[in-house]
Formats: sequence, structure tokens, C-alpha cells
Amino acid sequence: MPRTRIAATAFAAAALIALTACGSNAGVSGSAGGDFPKKGKSIELIVSFSSGGAVDTAARLVQPILEKELGTNVEVVNKPGAGGQIGYTQLTSAKPDGYTIGATGSPSVVVSPLDPARGAKYTRSSFQPLGRQVIDPTVIAVQPDSPYKTLKELLDAAKAKPKSMTASTTGLQTGEHFALAQIQEDTGAEFAPVHFSEGASQATTAFLGRHVDILVANVSDVTDLSKQGKARVLGVMSAERAPSLPDVPTFKESGYDLEAGTVRGYSAPAGLPDAVAKKLEAALQKAIEDPAVVQKMKDLGLQTSYMSAADYAKFWAGQEEDFKKVLPMVQKKD
Amino acid sequence: MDTLNELIGGFAAAMTWQNLIFAFLGCLLGTIIGVLPGIGPVAGVALLIPLTMNLDATGAIIMLCAIFYGTAYGGTITSVLLNTPGEAASAITTIDGYAMTKIGKAGAALTIAAVGSFVGGTIATVGLVAAAKPLGEMGLLVGPPEFFALMVVGISLLVALAGKSMVKAVMSGALGLLISMVGIDPVAGAPRFTFGSDNLLDGVSFVAVIVGVFGLSEILSYRKDSATSVVHAPGLRSLLPNRSEWRRSAPSMARGTGIGFGLGLIPGMTGSVSSLLAYVAEKKFSKHRNELGHGAIEGVAGPETANNAHANAALIPLFTLGIPASPTIAVLMGAFLQQGLVPGPTLFTEHSEVAWAIIASLFIGNLLLLLLNVPLVGLWTSILRVPAPILTALILLFMVIGAYTINFNVFDVFVMIGFGLLGLALRYLDIPLAPMVLTLVLGPLMERSLRESLEISQGDFGVFLNRPIAAVLIGVGVLIVLSPLLKLRKPKALIEDPET
Repeated sequence: MPRTRIAATAFAAAALIALTACGSNAGVSGSAGGDFPKKGKSIELIVSFSSGGAVDTAARLVQPILEKELGTNVEVVNKPGAGGQIGYTQLTSAKPDGYTIGATGSPSVVVSPLDPARGAKYTRSSFQPLGRQVIDPTVIAVQPDSPYKTLKELLDAAKAKPKSMTASTTGLQTGEHFALAQIQEDTGAEFAPVHFSEGASQATTAFLGRHVDILVANVSDVTDLSKQGKARVLGVMSAERAPSLPDVPTFKESGYDLEAGTVRGYSAPAGLPDAVAKKLEAALQKAIEDPAVVQKMKDLGLQTSYMSAADYAKFWAGQEEDFKKVLPMVQKKD
Repeated sequence: MDTLNELIGGFAAAMTWQNLIFAFLGCLLGTIIGVLPGIGPVAGVALLIPLTMNLDATGAIIMLCAIFYGTAYGGTITSVLLNTPGEAASAITTIDGYAMTKIGKAGAALTIAAVGSFVGGTIATVGLVAAAKPLGEMGLLVGPPEFFALMVVGISLLVALAGKSMVKAVMSGALGLLISMVGIDPVAGAPRFTFGSDNLLDGVSFVAVIVGVFGLSEILSYRKDSATSVVHAPGLRSLLPNRSEWRRSAPSMARGTGIGFGLGLIPGMTGSVSSLLAYVAEKKFSKHRNELGHGAIEGVAGPETANNAHANAALIPLFTLGIPASPTIAVLMGAFLQQGLVPGPTLFTEHSEVAWAIIASLFIGNLLLLLLNVPLVGLWTSILRVPAPILTALILLFMVIGAYTINFNVFDVFVMIGFGLLGLALRYLDIPLAPMVLTLVLGPLMERSLRESLEISQGDFGVFLNRPIAAVLIGVGVLIVLSPLLKLRKPKALIEDPET
């Protein structure tokens, strides 16, 4: 058994090197029924964030099942930078033939075209949503020895002395930053945001080193920290409690009707032929709802929450409306 | 003692013959991928992850770690032989590595690089075993203000790179800072110096710049009658370093290990900072600092050791805190996650056997890399037997492909050519190139940490002075800047130091 495994690995290695060398994808077998996808023509899945992150991991988890469903190669390609804008630009400027799809995450994909200062070359209508995979709600956490034991205590303190506490975000106009703006608008509690544009790991590091007071992050970022007792999570900004943080009350339970989070799904450039869109949507649904994928996502603290293409598009439009309202609060004024 | 027992258990688990074969295959594939132009460790590991998907967790991670070492070393091979760095961290090695190649010492450079990588990697892994927890927590002491202060020290080291004219060095450094500003503002999100081009949104690619400034400009500066254009293929005897080279490398490796290990512990620090600062340290402290830039073994030993010490030390924050400290580690972390392992302290409580097997495999990977590459040095260097005109053409081809494959974007090829011309101009003006590279690497990190610091302090610059670590570091930086003034009475010969 091990011997065949090694042989298989060696063969795969040789094949891979050959692929790298000539850049073609010969020899891929498939059961392509109909025109799309053409046998041997691979599909590029653009991830607009660096490898190893939550978006990338999710894409790499669905990739093998997509390959099986579509009967052709699916290559995950990372095009990180500028808060997703570089990858999104690439995705929307690709030919809408189904051979280029991409992971789309909000708020980045929703917000970047709204702020003219960013000069994005795409709008919501440049994307054709294919399906939503996951919602990762925003949480707010304090240091384990913090005097604040409940969300109300924390927010009251931040209201009494605005900007007396620093709070991490993963960059200007990210989900965390919008969450802080929503909290401020709704409750009057104001934190001083510190933007860690490198992402959640830098924000978490600064929090662990006590360089910032409050960690604003996603459920998946704090699941492990909370288990280790390194962060006291005070509230989840979702309709229901997060399964990986069963003891943490939602904002609503604490008396604040607020929801926020990062939402991730997959989209294509607008203008796909109907048949192609149908095929991609069906394959994505299979992959996203695959029990093994769902379980692995759960291990990471990510709750699968599938939505069909049409629903995802509606959801996207709704988010755009919500974000437009608080946008002035998260724009750099200086 | 417990730790030792667990480590021995880890070795037992890792040393099955399948795993050793995976590790060997990983090293080999990694080296080959690393030699291919433009594919550095991040892309290399990401590219080969699918290979490991069907293995069990231990085997998969062992193979990936081996791939990771292999790609890093593969990048060094092209830096030394072809003046084309495969990745940012081995960029600085091109200066003395390629200079050694030109004087027929390519074999020695490659061997020392392999040994240095082994030494740095192994010592860092020992640190991981012995004191992961306190070391990981030490890394947390470095918040944005301390990070910024550290960058100040780094930039102040520019004076060590100055050579004949401090003014020219500062000009070069300022140019590097300016170039590092190109792209989307990391905080406010506004495009800077992009001239409306999407290609510049993410700034200019560092590897393309390096290849252009060092590699291409060197080729362009060849003249028909110039002796510098001839590359000597090493004879059999010069494949291995001679005794004096071994002796000279030892202190450089020690310094490189210290620098790489210390910086590797700090989340957010990149390996290229370590290798650059290790080079600068050689320039400032090595006994043979005057030879640096002309094929000194220290210029290879220091940065290469630091690079690998950094890479291994960066695993400490991953294992103790679950934080990927560098992009390559982030890719490895992704692979962990796909195997259902969540890196962090819980890894040791929930999957202790796997965790220790991985640590054992780090030792094995380091050793395998050494065993694999030293015998292959002869093979790699035989490429230099290709007649010079053809080799030069080949190098040019490599550079173009390398620049293209960074992002599969033709634009990067033009960046490379543009910076080649810039490098040529700077050479004619006798402006040193190294300061520009230093600030180009440190600039973005410095900007980011400065802005984070000021957000933490809400605009108060006092944050750098009332935090002890930051204040001390800033003080060190100021002292380094002032140090040439204190040394004015030194004999002129010692200060004179023609930089490439």
C-alpha cells in the first residue's frame, strides 16, 4: 500500500514538473457532458488574498470536489494585494466564459468600488455571483484580565470615555472596521481603531502582546484563543450563537441589535452564458455542501452557510445598501 | 527530560522509511522548483501542496517542510551561479555569491551556503525544542512601536553600506524608500505613484527590481574588452571551500544565526530583512569587510545562515501562538489546516505525536538538504562550463522568465528591464546599490509599523520614547548613524570600501 502511494506521489511529482515546465494541462480525463468545460482546459479560481488565509483555505478545500464535478482541472491562483482589489480587478476583466472564477469576500468586494478614492475599475454589476459558502461573524474580545466582564460594561465604558481604548481591525474599511462603525452609530461607544493592514494574524499578535486593548476579529480567528484562555470574547455579532463559541452571547442577547461579519462566496465575471453558469453553480453547491468539506470548515471555526447564486446576488445588493450608510464613518479623513 | 523523550518519540515516528523518502523527494523537488526562475519558497510550497494531499498528516507535513527548505536553497543556487535570485531572501547573496562565481569559487560559495543553511536551521530548531514558549512570548514584546524602532536601527545601518560617499549612499537609500512607496497606501487604500496603472497597485515587485538592479545592470555594463564578463568554471579542487574559507565563514554563520533567529521570532518580519541585515552586519563587523562585494565568503555565509535560521525560528510563533510569522509559514499553516491540524499550543496537547514528528522532521530535512546538495554542487556548477557568450544569453533568458513568472505578468519584465537601466546609470554615477535595496525592503515595514504605532498612541510620537525597548532601539540607531563621526581618525584605507 505505501509503495503504491509513493509511486503515485512520484508520478504526480513528475507530472507536476512537466506541467510547470510546459504550462499545459494535457492528460486530464473528464466526463464533460456538453460544451463546458472543454476537456483538458483548466479553470482558474482566483483567490484575491494570500495563500494560507481563510479565503484561500476554503477555496483549496472545495477545489478537488469542483474538479470532480466539472471533470477538469481547477487551479487556485493567489492574486493578493490592495485588500483584494487586485484579484477582483483581474477576475472582472477576465473573459466571462466560465474558465475564470474567483472567491469573493465581503466587505472587501462590496466596499472597494463604493469609495471613489480607491479607483476600483469594477462595480457590483461586474460580478456574477455563483454561490455563498460561509459567514464568519465578527466578535469583540478583551484581554483575559480585563475589568470588563460583559459587552454592556465594555460599551458603556467606551461611551463614557470615547477613544480611550484601542481596537484592532484588519485594515481600513474591512469587516472589523465596519463593525466598529456600526457599534459607534448604534450605541455611541467609540474605540480608537488601529488598522493592521497585513491581516488577522498581525492584529492577533498585537493583541496577545497587549499592544492593543480590544480584539475585533472573526469567530474563526478567536476560537482557538478563547479555548486557551488568551482572550475573553464578550459578544458575537450574529443572529445566533456561534457553534464554536457556545458560551458567548450574541449582541442581540446583550441588547444591541447588530450583526456584522465576513461573508465569502464565489463569483464569475458578469455575462456568463446561462448553461455555463448553471453548471458552475451546481458544482459549487456540491463542493460547498460536501460533508467532508463542511466538517473541515467547522474544525476551523467556520460555519458553512450556502446560498444559491440568485440569493447570494440579493444578499450582496442588501449588503451594499447597509455599507453605504456607514461608509462616511470609515473613510480616512486626514 | 520529558521534552527529550517526546523528541525521541518524534524521531521514531518521523524516521519511517516512507517518511524519509517523502522528505528526500520534497528536498529534491523543492530544489528543482527553487532553481526554476521566479518561483520562490512561497509559490513553490503552494504549488506542491496538492502532492501531499493524499498522504497522512505526518508524511504530508514532513514533505512540505522539506520542499520549503529545498526551494529556499534552490533560490540560492541561481543567485550564486546566475546572478538571478529565486526569491527575495537570497537577493543579497547575489552580490558576493556571483562575485565568487566570477573568480571561479562558485563551488565553495554553494557549499558554504548549504552548510550555513544547515547550521542556522538546526540551531533555530534546537531553540524551538528547548524554549519555544518563552521565545514565542518574547516575540510578542515587539509591538508596532518596537517594530518601528527596529526598522530605524536597520535603516541606520545604511551608514555601513556607504563606501566612499555618505551623500551618495543616502541618495541611494532615499531612492529605495521612494520606490517602496509605489502602490496602494496600506492604510488609507489610496493609490500612490501608480500613474493610473493597475499593474502598479501592488507596488513594483521586489524580485524584479533586484534582478534588474543587480543582475541585468551587471550584464549591461560588460564591455567587449572587460575582464569582468568572463566567468571561470571552477576546477574540481575549488568545488569545496578551502581551510581559510571555512575559518572565515564560522563567525559569519554565528552572526547570521543570531540575527536570523532573533528576527524570525518577531511576527511580521520577513526573511529578506534577516538576510539583508546579516549582510550589513558582515559589512560592519567582519574582519574582511573590505573584501565584501568582491567575492568574500562572508557575504554568502552570513545572509544564507540568517535566512534559514529565520525560516526555522519563524515556526516558533506558529507552534506556540498559532500565528504565521511570514508568508511561507502562512502557506505551511494552510497545509496544516487542510490536514485538520490547527497550529498553536493546542497542537501539542491534541496532536502531540504529530507535533513532535514534525519537529523531528525539521532536523531531518535540514540534514537531508545538506547531504543532497553538497554532492550536487559539482553538477550545478558545471553549468558554468557553457561558453561565456552563450551563458550570458542564458542568464538573460533566465532573468526574463524569472521576472515573468513572479506574477505571470509581462509588466514585471519591463520593471526588471527598467531597473536594469537604472542600475546601470547608478553604476556609472558611482552610487552604491545596496542602500537602495535595504530601504526598499525595510520601507514598507517601517511605514506600516509607524502608522500602527501612531494609531495606538493616537498621534503621540512619545510612544517611541516612553516604551523602554523602543527607546533603547532608537538610541542604538542614533549611535550607529553617529558612529562614522566618531571614527574619523581611522586610517583612510580602512574606511575606503568600494561598493559594487
